[in-house]
Amino acid sequence: MPSAPQLDRSTIDRLRSRDPETLSEAVREHARPLYRAARGMGFREEEAEDLVQDIFATFLETLDRFEGLSQVRTWLFGILHHKVFERRRERYREERNDPIDEVFESRFDTRGNWVRPPDDLHRLMESQQIGEAIAGCLEGLPAAQREVFVLREVQGFETPEICKILGLTVTNMGVMMHRARNRLRECIEKRGWSKT
Amino acid sequence: MMRCKAVAELLTSDRLGDEPFWVRLQVKLHLGMCKYCSRLARQMEQLRLAASRFGRSFDQEKSGADGEDLEARLLRKLTGGEP
Repeated sequence: MPSAPQLDRSTIDRLRSRDPETLSEAVREHARPLYRAARGMGFREEEAEDLVQDIFATFLETLDRFEGLSQVRTWLFGILHHKVFERRRERYREERNDPIDEVFESRFDTRGNWVRPPDDLHRLMESQQIGEAIAGCLEGLPAAQREVFVLREVQGFETPEICKILGLTVTNMGVMMHRARNRLRECIEKRGWSKT
Repeated sequence: MMRCKAVAELLTSDRLGDEPFWVRLQVKLHLGMCKYCSRLARQMEQLRLAASRFGRSFDQEKSGADGEDLEARLLRKLTGGEP
C-alpha cells in the first residue's frame, strides 16, 4: 500500500475551520480503512462506527498539535491505537516471555532443524471458510499482537508507519509479528482445517 | 548454510526484506532445497492473502445498501447535523 501524502498548511487550516469540503475528503479517504481496522481488531459493527466517529472528533480537537510533519493517516491510526486501549483497558506492554515462543522452539531440534514441520494449509486457504478461520484465530491473539497483525496484513501498512503509529521499534514489531503469525499458524493447524 | 529455525524466524517476523542481500540470497537458496521451510513461506503468503480478504469482508458493512453509508453519517455528526 503506497504511503498517504502529507497535508499542506492550507489544507490543515481548512480542516481546523471545519471546511465541509475538506472534511468530507478526509472522511471519504480515511473512515473506511479505520472502520476496517476496528472491525479487524474485534469491535462489533456499531462499536466500530462509534470508534471511528470518536477518532475523527479527537482528530479535529487536536489539529492544533498536528504540524503536518506526519501523514494524516498515521495521525488518525495513532488516535485509533490510543482509543482501542482506552476502551479495552488492556495492558499494552508486550511480555518478555510469551508461551508461543516455547511452542516455536519445540518445533526444532538443538541444531535448528525441523522436528515438527508445518502442515500444508493450501486447501484451507482456498476454501470459503477462510474468513471464519482467520476471525476465530484472531480472537486468540493478545491485543497488541492483533493490532500489529491487522495493521500489517489487513491494512497493508509498511513497517515504519506501523512503528510510528504504535510507538514500537522495528525489532519489537518483528517480535510481535513473529508471535502473532506463529499463534495464528498454530491455531489453524490445531483446528485441523487443513485436512478438510 | 542457514538452519531451518533461522529461516523460519526471518519468515515469520516479516523482516526478510530488511536483511542484506547475501542473507536474502541464502534464504532463497535454502527455500529451494527445503520443502518444510518453503511450505512455511507458502503459509505466510496464504495468511497474508487471507487476512487481506478478511479485511475486505467488512467493506460491505454500512455501505449504504440499507440507508445512509458510514461516511455520510459520520460527516453529518461531525458537522453538527445530529447529536
